[in-house]
Amino acid sequence: MISMNKVSKHYGAFQVLTDCTTQVQKGEVIVVCGPSGSGKSTLIKCVNGLEPFQSGEIIVNGVSVGAPATNLSKLRSTVGMVFQNFELFPHMSIIDNLSIAQLKVLGRNQEQAREKGYKLLDRVGLREQAEKYPGQLSGGQQQRVAIARALAMDPICMLFDEPTSALDPEMVNEVLDVMTELAKEGMTMMCVTHEMGFAKRVASRVIFMDQGRIVEDDSKEAFFEHARSERAQQFLAKILHH
Amino acid sequence: MGYSWNWGIFLQPTATGDGTYLGWMFYGFKVTIALSLSAWFIALVLGAVVGILRTVPNKWLSGFATAYVEVFRNIPLLVQLFLWYFVMPELLPENLGNAFKQSNPIVQQFLSSMVCLALFTSARVAEQVRSGINSLPPGQKNAGLAMGFTLSQTYRYVLLPMAVRLIVPPLTSEFLNIFKNSAVCSTIGLLELAAQGRQLVDYTAQPYESFIAVTLAYLLINVVVMFGMRWVEEHVRVPGYIGGK
Repeated sequence: MISMNKVSKHYGAFQVLTDCTTQVQKGEVIVVCGPSGSGKSTLIKCVNGLEPFQSGEIIVNGVSVGAPATNLSKLRSTVGMVFQNFELFPHMSIIDNLSIAQLKVLGRNQEQAREKGYKLLDRVGLREQAEKYPGQLSGGQQQRVAIARALAMDPICMLFDEPTSALDPEMVNEVLDVMTELAKEGMTMMCVTHEMGFAKRVASRVIFMDQGRIVEDDSKEAFFEHARSERAQQFLAKILHH
Repeated sequence: MGYSWNWGIFLQPTATGDGTYLGWMFYGFKVTIALSLSAWFIALVLGAVVGILRTVPNKWLSGFATAYVEVFRNIPLLVQLFLWYFVMPELLPENLGNAFKQSNPIVQQFLSSMVCLALFTSARVAEQVRSGINSLPPGQKNAGLAMGFTLSQTYRYVLLPMAVRLIVPPLTSEFLNIFKNSAVCSTIGLLELAAQGRQLVDYTAQPYESFIAVTLAYLLINVVVMFGMRWVEEHVRVPGYIGGK
């Protein structure tokens, strides 16, 4: 589904990503973790071309992301993305947030788009908030809407960029529950997150990054029980201590 | 102080026999409004385009837009007016320049003034538009793109609707400015409100009444603009957002 081969990226002299290589199979849930500044957010933003990269190759569903001829908009419409700060469109009601791209990108009609929107709001338990505006919802609710908005496009895979980092602690679980549900249904997911509980429950594989390199790429059992690199062991010791 | 007030002058017939002095004032009032509104409309359209161009990821387009803004923002309004009125007709292709110079002088003055005010104000509007777009969270653009919108769709559906709402208050002051700046156009002979005030002084020797009337007329225009823009501001407010209900 997603295949990365020796992806490197730099801003000027600063190397952000170095030779990142990994594969994501259909139905896999990959958790990407690592200390801040390790390039994990940049890595998943490369997957749908929001961040350009200078060398290497990323193939998503048979399409090369970096190739100049690639229609990036079309590619992105098939890859759902959820952001740390939700990034709902504040001037639109919740249901319009879910419909707008269906109407303008997929060419669905108003009726289909709203029906799909309501169905997804039901699924994340926010049907009764449909006519409200993003600013009137809590962070947890906004993030669930953001997930529903991405799902409305019927994506072939989902990217999560620290979806719970901007949330108050008591709202983290409502978002993780939605993500867990999604994983159980077989959605292919790549999640940048510090939620190690989620990783242990749901992940198929864990990728650990440090200083722009993929240091570990292993099954979650292998990662949590005997991480090979010293850096990952330190990281885990700090995180799991809590 | 020996000044003899005479508010009756406004109803007196003019020395040239074309109606009353109040009629002169009203004519100037109409010119000021027609000039300012037409220039404002052009300034909004041009300013929006230039402001957007300043934010696009293309150095030629954004460079052009930056140059435009700096040129029109940094030359004094009066100098720009003289350039448009006295110099520009000479630089036009000969037949066009001649057509302009042979047209009704009022049309010449009005067109030069309109273009001058429009371009000067468009540079300022462009700066507001740019700052509106740049003040949005950077993730909004990514969110739009990630949904599969093209860059222009992202501007149209995601960035501009919010940016426009954010800049209503600073645009209000630009809108007020254009009416006030229009007084400069009296220097090329356009008989707008301020010019009529001065003319009234020459003809009636009642400067206080004349300029009080002019002042009130400008105040009236700006009060209407302020309330109009406040109405706009309230009607585009986003529920739950900063400043929203």
